[in-house]
Amino acid sequence: MAMMSTKRLQKELAELNGVKGTPPTGISLLSADNLASWRLELQVLGESLYQGETFAVEFRFGSRYPIESPAVVFVVNDKYKAPVHPHVYSNGLICASILGNEWSPVLSVSAVCLTLQSMLASCKEKKLPDGNDAFVKTAPLDPKKVRFVYDDDTV
Amino acid sequence: MVSMSTPTPTSTAPDPTPTGGAVGHAAQSLTGQEDKDKVASMLPRSETPGVPGDENQLSEHDLYQLAQQLKDEEANKRPLISSAEPLSALREEYTNGTGNFLEKIEWLMSQGWRGLRRTRGDGDCFYRSLAYAYVERLLFADDQDLAVASTKSILEAKLKVLEQVGFEKLAYEDFYDAFVEVIDLIVKPNQHGRKLDANGLLEFFQTPELSNSAVFFLKLVTSAQMRSEPALYEGFLMNPDTGDPMGVKEFCERFVEAAGKEADDPMISALTSALSVPVNVAYLSNAGFSDSSHKVNFVEFQSEGTGLSGAEPITLLYRPGHYDILEKRADDLETRPDRK
Repeated sequence: MAMMSTKRLQKELAELNGVKGTPPTGISLLSADNLASWRLELQVLGESLYQGETFAVEFRFGSRYPIESPAVVFVVNDKYKAPVHPHVYSNGLICASILGNEWSPVLSVSAVCLTLQSMLASCKEKKLPDGNDAFVKTAPLDPKKVRFVYDDDTV
Repeated sequence: MVSMSTPTPTSTAPDPTPTGGAVGHAAQSLTGQEDKDKVASMLPRSETPGVPGDENQLSEHDLYQLAQQLKDEEANKRPLISSAEPLSALREEYTNGTGNFLEKIEWLMSQGWRGLRRTRGDGDCFYRSLAYAYVERLLFADDQDLAVASTKSILEAKLKVLEQVGFEKLAYEDFYDAFVEVIDLIVKPNQHGRKLDANGLLEFFQTPELSNSAVFFLKLVTSAQMRSEPALYEGFLMNPDTGDPMGVKEFCERFVEAAGKEADDPMISALTSALSVPVNVAYLSNAGFSDSSHKVNFVEFQSEGTGLSGAEPITLLYRPGHYDILEKRADDLETRPDRK
């Protein structure tokens, strides 16, 4: 019963690859070989601490998307690093309530990317989250297996 | 029920990002002893291999996994929405209870209420109950064609509101299509020549993908209604965790549009008015002025629209933290075995 999810992802894909509609500025599709996992490149527009940097975000969708949130991480490999940000762990895991208990199907891949852009754009100091090293050593790579506490409404 | 993912905001800021929300840090540990105790007390000791006598020896990760597992099992025990059962079955549950619930249930029965249709306690119970009752009411309407046509025109008009408040079309159109499709089936036979009947309706609402489509369509309609008339709701919105007042947009993003967030009076009133359907909520609780009486306090959420002529309002039964559907119809009850 993943009809809904397929239908929705196909529409989102058509928008992101420019077949129907236009992807948001600063966001471009890197790969979407199937409807289970996509990668997008993301730049922060305008003046920010991340000017000139390019990041990649990976989305993984379950069969219950969009009722359930996608798993979203910054890609960390030879080419890409996670942004240095108080709410992004150096292994790429992101702590944002919209990806967890405040996920809503009204959000789309574009909307999530826009939120990430905005989160980075408003950053005032490039620093890693508290306890980054300890967390990264033991953290599962699947963000859905981590319980986050969302305690900062100011970003 | 253990909630393992409660956000712990320390402050509320006005609308910082396009989609609101909050950010924070990863917590690999549970919040405190209280949670551990709750989880530990839920563990069936004899059936939990490797659980030592002292629950404090369980790793944080184990506790989290177990809590999730218990939550899932609990959720799976009950269908998203059940067949109606006689109200007397609910009374049985309270025979040894405290308070005057027993008398109140008997009072409901004396007023002609026959059945209870339970919804799963997953946080979406209000919207699911309402969605079900909303369609069921069309199914039993005297003039189905008229009822379906007027309902569809109301729902169609909501699409404009959803668009006006800025939702992406792709984010709501599939939910709308699924919901309208089941309503259409009341009057238009499907490819097999069959129209919707009570069993078909139940099946629709027990199928997660379809049931959740109806739930989310109504949640988005609720949000759009509040966002389009913020002045009506502004003074009544607060963060349910902290009690701090909140603006309409942020409140809607975090507590209406998100999954599994309970509906409260402002949402009920917004949805009632958006759908032009009167909703009565029977409060089966010990709180309030009706405490000493054996009557049940009904709160009427009236809409401005005329609604369906001659149709009864939708009536929901509220017990602290949960909504089910109250029914007067009895045909369903006598032909079905009791289900718990």
